[in-house]
Amino acid sequence: MFNQDITPYQNISILILVSFAFQSMLMPLLLSEMDGPMGWVAIVIAAFLIYIIIKPLNKVMEKYKEDTIISISNRLFPKIVSKTIGIYYIIMFLTANSILMKDFAEQIKLMMLFRTPISTIIIVILLTASYAAKKGIQPIANIASIAILTGLVPYLFTIIFSTYYADYSNIFPVFPADVQGILKSVPAAMLGFFGLPVLLFSNSRVSAKEKNIIVNKRYIIIGTILYISCYLLIIVKFGMKEAVNLVWPFISIMKFVNIPGFFFESTEIVGLCFQIIVTFTCICIIAYFTNLAMQETFKTRENGYFIFLQIPVLYIMAVALPGMYMMFPYIQWPIYVLSGLNFLIPLAVIFVDKKKQGAKNS
Amino acid sequence: MKNIKILIIAIITSIVLTGCWDSAEINKREYLFAVGIDKNGKNLTFTSEIPKINEGSEEQRIIYTKESRNFADFYSTSYLHSEKAISDRLMQVIVLGEDVARDPETLKKLFDEIQRSPQMNRRVKICIAKGKAQDIINTEMSNNPITGRYLSEMLIKLKREGYQDIYTFDEAILHLGQFGCAMLPVVEINEESLTVERAAIINEYELVGILEPEEVQTIMLLLNPNKANIRNINIEVDGSTVSLGAVDVSMTDDLDLKGDKLSANYNISLYCYIDSFIIGNNSLEDRNFMNKVKNEASKMVSDTAVNTIYKLQHTYKTDLLEVKDKLFKFHKADYKKIEDKYDEVFEAADININLNTEIKSTGLVK
Repeated sequence: MFNQDITPYQNISILILVSFAFQSMLMPLLLSEMDGPMGWVAIVIAAFLIYIIIKPLNKVMEKYKEDTIISISNRLFPKIVSKTIGIYYIIMFLTANSILMKDFAEQIKLMMLFRTPISTIIIVILLTASYAAKKGIQPIANIASIAILTGLVPYLFTIIFSTYYADYSNIFPVFPADVQGILKSVPAAMLGFFGLPVLLFSNSRVSAKEKNIIVNKRYIIIGTILYISCYLLIIVKFGMKEAVNLVWPFISIMKFVNIPGFFFESTEIVGLCFQIIVTFTCICIIAYFTNLAMQETFKTRENGYFIFLQIPVLYIMAVALPGMYMMFPYIQWPIYVLSGLNFLIPLAVIFVDKKKQGAKNS
Repeated sequence: MKNIKILIIAIITSIVLTGCWDSAEINKREYLFAVGIDKNGKNLTFTSEIPKINEGSEEQRIIYTKESRNFADFYSTSYLHSEKAISDRLMQVIVLGEDVARDPETLKKLFDEIQRSPQMNRRVKICIAKGKAQDIINTEMSNNPITGRYLSEMLIKLKREGYQDIYTFDEAILHLGQFGCAMLPVVEINEESLTVERAAIINEYELVGILEPEEVQTIMLLLNPNKANIRNINIEVDGSTVSLGAVDVSMTDDLDLKGDKLSANYNISLYCYIDSFIIGNNSLEDRNFMNKVKNEASKMVSDTAVNTIYKLQHTYKTDLLEVKDKLFKFHKADYKKIEDKYDEVFEAADININLNTEIKSTGLVK
């Protein structure tokens, strides 16, 4: 039904966009976890850990060609384990998407549509995103590659103008580093690389699969640079104390954009407009891959069906869940579990595959 | 059937996409340009200035004075008292009355409200009124009748030229959060105009004192020597008045924390031009005379600096020099040991100014 081929460039666009959305959402966690502005070390550690599994992971995925992580698990693990993995990804994608949607809807309500009920905003986003997701991965990939150029790049470019009167010495002190704080923030930093669970599905849809390793590595490098730049930008602009105090540091930073020769009545709205393009695309992408995970877990033929099933689930979850910033005090353990599983499942797939390969060879 | 569907979609779309159905035209809006806030018992008195932009004149204004508990209260009362939509999106300046600035609880509440609001512009300029903010807003200036615009442009100029450290609410809140103190511009009535020369010392959201212009200049020099604007140095040497203009400043600072003993050395090189002397007097060619000029100039600037630092340490007990922040950033391990008693350590600190004046040029004549 769907045209399932995407280009390597579209794949990297998807991965970068999804990661950026989660990186900016999880930024307050990274800021508040430690004493001092050393969150970038946690990002580097997280990126390194992901980087080292990219090559073996891609080798396994290349072997199974059109298979996603769930179908590979079906071949490698007992049925119960592979089903559990499938259900985990479904729940994880659904939760992530609903939190993203709730946060996004709250930003729109607070900044733009003061009088519109948040449920109306969520329904509108959900219906539009579902329609886009139903059209298949190719339209989504096209949207993602366009969103990079029309949303993310202008957004980051505009944000540069907020560095006016920034205090660059805020990146200190480096020593003595809060090692415990850094290590504690690594899981949150890893979850910020949300492209990792997504690439376990998207790689199988790329037309030139031999390029997946290089594309994934590039994604880690670009994602890390973006993540660190955004982190440092917030630090130099606000300083640690104020940065920790902010609910959406990335949106707040837009309040200080000062482009010479331009007049904006509210600069944060300009930023929010770009953010709308980026986040909306992410919601479509995650909705599509949730559908794919459902389809492969429940082994159904009608692959667009689950998009519609997601709508009420996502709506209820988005309405019921508090905003991300309200959950920060309670999500330490869920974050450890999510980022741990996101890292360990591909790792387990690599090891089991190697073991099976070894057994076959002997 | 298909045509009917298209028709229905087209009709619904045309209804839904009329984006500006609840728009208010500019002549139906009132834009607050300046707000003055004074204390009035438990309440606050808000004095707002609204230019009559909708009547074709940029030079006329309306002033509203309302008693309210906070900004939200002020907006809702103003909304009910005017047929127009009130907007603070173009607000240029907030003037805080001296009594507001002296009450930390009130100041914290006001800052919190501005900071918390998604709508309010954090780049709004801020200053402290000498006396009542209401008087500042009500001042009738013949050359620039809109106080908000005048103060906004004035504060931008002072920041750009390095006369004042802070000019926006954003900077004030960041400074108070990061350093615990800030130096905010003080606006005063001067005959039929307003002047901004002095600066208020805000320590932990409380106005603890007001610095004189030369003291502000000294702190600006120590905070940011590259941007600091130093006024002419007028000295008497051998019965003649010599006027020097500082054209360039370079500074290195050296902080040392040993146990509870904090020492800070500021080594400043001041490069000057001779601005004015006396025609026919050839003393400037005399090396000894020039050395005397240098020494006198150094002494004069040093004395002001030493007095200012003494006041900061002992009278106001406020670390406007941001020593605490530098210690945290560059001597974190030592700083952590004295973090709890930093105020005492700062008060007992040995802060020295080593000033070296160099005369780079005598101007276009010898």
